[in-house]
Amino acid sequence: MAASTNSQATITDEFATKIKAENTRARITRIAPMLVLFALVLFFSILRGSVFLSIGNLSAILNQLAIPLLIAMGLTFVIMIGCIDLSIDGSVGMAGSLMSLLVLNTKNGNNLGLLGLVLAVLASVLIGAIIGVIYVKLKIPSFMVSFSFMYICMGLAMLSYGGIPATITDTFLVSVPKMNFIGIPIITWVAIAMFCVAYFIQEYTAFGRYIYAVGTDENIPRMAGVDVNRVKILVFAFAGLCFGIAGVLGGIRLGQGQMQIGTGTMFPAQAAVVVGGTALSGGKGGILNTLIGVLIITVLDDGLLLMSVNPYIKTGIQGLIILVAVALTVTRSNKIIMK
Amino acid sequence: MLEESKMEKKLLFRASNITKVFAGTRALKGVDLDIYEGEVVGLIGENGAGKSTLLKIIIGVQPQTQGEMTMFGKPYEPKTPRDANGAGIGMVFQEQSLIVNLTVGQNIFFGQEKKFRKYGFVNWKKMYKDTETALENVSCSHIPARKKVLDLNFATRQMVEIAKVVNLTRSSGHDHCLILLDEPTSVLNETEVQQLFTEIRKLTAQGHSVVFVSHRLDEILAISDRVYVYKDGENAGNMPTADADEAKLYEMMVGHSTTTEYYKLDQQRKPDPEAVLDIKNLGLHGVFKNVSFKLNKGEILGIVGVVGSGKEDICSVICGDEHPTFGEMYVKGEKRTYFSPAQALSDGVLMIPKERMEEGIVSGLSVNENIAMSNVRLLRSGPFLSSKKMVGQSDEWIKRLRIKTAGKDELLARLSGGNQQKVVFARALCSQSDILILNHPTRGVDVGAKEEIYGLIRDMVKQGKSVILLGDTLDECIGMSNRIIVMCDGLVTGEFDAPVEDKPTQVSVVSLMM
Repeated sequence: MAASTNSQATITDEFATKIKAENTRARITRIAPMLVLFALVLFFSILRGSVFLSIGNLSAILNQLAIPLLIAMGLTFVIMIGCIDLSIDGSVGMAGSLMSLLVLNTKNGNNLGLLGLVLAVLASVLIGAIIGVIYVKLKIPSFMVSFSFMYICMGLAMLSYGGIPATITDTFLVSVPKMNFIGIPIITWVAIAMFCVAYFIQEYTAFGRYIYAVGTDENIPRMAGVDVNRVKILVFAFAGLCFGIAGVLGGIRLGQGQMQIGTGTMFPAQAAVVVGGTALSGGKGGILNTLIGVLIITVLDDGLLLMSVNPYIKTGIQGLIILVAVALTVTRSNKIIMK
Repeated sequence: MLEESKMEKKLLFRASNITKVFAGTRALKGVDLDIYEGEVVGLIGENGAGKSTLLKIIIGVQPQTQGEMTMFGKPYEPKTPRDANGAGIGMVFQEQSLIVNLTVGQNIFFGQEKKFRKYGFVNWKKMYKDTETALENVSCSHIPARKKVLDLNFATRQMVEIAKVVNLTRSSGHDHCLILLDEPTSVLNETEVQQLFTEIRKLTAQGHSVVFVSHRLDEILAISDRVYVYKDGENAGNMPTADADEAKLYEMMVGHSTTTEYYKLDQQRKPDPEAVLDIKNLGLHGVFKNVSFKLNKGEILGIVGVVGSGKEDICSVICGDEHPTFGEMYVKGEKRTYFSPAQALSDGVLMIPKERMEEGIVSGLSVNENIAMSNVRLLRSGPFLSSKKMVGQSDEWIKRLRIKTAGKDELLARLSGGNQQKVVFARALCSQSDILILNHPTRGVDVGAKEEIYGLIRDMVKQGKSVILLGDTLDECIGMSNRIIVMCDGLVTGEFDAPVEDKPTQVSVVSLMM
């Protein structure tokens, strides 16, 4: 340190080196999630190779991955604009519960079939849009609005089935969880399709650009004439769409509509987004990062299970991973980036 | 008023008699600016001379209180920067306005994606083709259109900003546009500055005009065709650059010195020879370096420099808000390293911050509580805060500093700026700190309150306290200080003794600041 005091470098040069060092660091954090995923796969392959790499296990991973991926994708855009959505447990559970009551079931005479699925998803989209509107119009922090809505949705779900969950009796829907196409479960295919949609939105639409811009600095798009509030509301509505689809698929998989479909789904999704490298400060990362993040979380979960690690310790490890990932991606020296 | 040679050139933009009033204070008092096609006009003036305010009015960020502007001879009244772009005026702001995680092309056409929409998707191929044309228009075809801004250096980013602005203004349908550059060189090194100048020349050769704001006079003299000087929100004159030199411009920039009573010069006393603060080779990586000075007991030491010179960062380091990268600091003879302002306070070092509203006062607390904030240690009675001691303290200070308030329980939000500042002073004084850093202590207070604050500062040093002063104006800093340190680009560029009978002139100080 002392040596640099005597050097001839001007302050401008020093500033430039500093920025350079920061960019290098940014580049490393950009590829870090890939490396972590690779290391995990390698680690489990060496320790439990024969089981971990078996077709059965890989297909189990793909099966497990579907719902966390859907939820994490919705959350990704929200985090990219620098907000957070904590309504997940509620909206997912609500969509699942509503769906079970709209298709052929044991509780009522409804038999809307696919339309029932669509309506359940739309209810979740509506919740997302309402969260967005309250957030931008009443200017209440998004974490607080969405947190309240977690409970509102839980309440709505419980009310809808009045304590006794409805069991799905629609023969097609009952058979869906077992269906697969070239070895990959149909439910996972739905998640993959949604992934493609989200990726196209992010990369090939103006809306995708605005998400990055709003997350970087709201004033830039506002000055450029972009309706920032509209972007934010749409992002929350899209999150609602993803949560809704996740809830409906969760309900189908369970064969029953109840609150528990959503319980505990938020944490792995948050972990996946952050571990994938999407910064909580916004403007960075994206859908691809989230895919890697979900893979990391799922592989870790699966691997620890194969190594018969105590499930309580497993949860603790996940918490630790989130903390480390945030610590690595957060920008601490905002003062320098300013200019 | 027009020079002979300019008569042939067409007038592009004119602002006349622009006045801007902010909450009672006049930031601009009838300034003018004429821009002809194909020229570079440099704007100079001290901090607070009104350059930034004028640019913001021209680009439509804020409206003028009075005065007219014309563009292409037609009345020009922008409500937003978009209006300005539509009229052919664009601005590159000092703060970066690129989105670093997007590519060059996506940034240049940000907000105009509709033009490239095809089946709901953006046709990136076409956008990048247009990007290449836009970059060619500003002779920057070497910049890769598909690269993320994150991966570009600052000079290139600056050119992308310029390409973006030129493209925006061009799409308004005008052949010639006016580009405003606010301190475009502050993050560039010398080679990059030369690069930027070359690009600016290419722009003006095409008939575009550029307004160039910089605090570096050598750059202004190198790039501009004409120079406008502003001083305290007023016209201080303009001239062709060919007729200007640094000395002449310095002379025009500085104001008249104020009378001696104003700064209570009769009360200026000689400091004791004992050093209470000794700074050796202090540095903060990328901000300032090699700063050494001593502060004596009972001394007022002024630190002057333009915004970004590092003077404020030095104060942050001394008061413990930032941790230095290099160097040593001795407080009252002992080596000290602070990690927080609380640590500094326990050694008697305290800063009165610049942004009163954000860092100085808690507007939702009472006068009483605001005064007590830095010295709760002395107001304790057992484990609790003694309200009797607190009230006694604030009653005393309200009287001593003549703080105008309905009572000690009045919320600070209800006090005037000057009285709020007095509360901040009261807090500093009763904290029993004896090394006080006053960061723009008279910022935003009226003339009467200013004089009272000057009196307060004189009293403080009389009681043996030592003061580091960052003045609101150069005049104030010279008037109040015993000694002045000048900073430029993170380095100390000069030091002046400022005894009562021999104050340095503003011109001599300014010439080291730029």
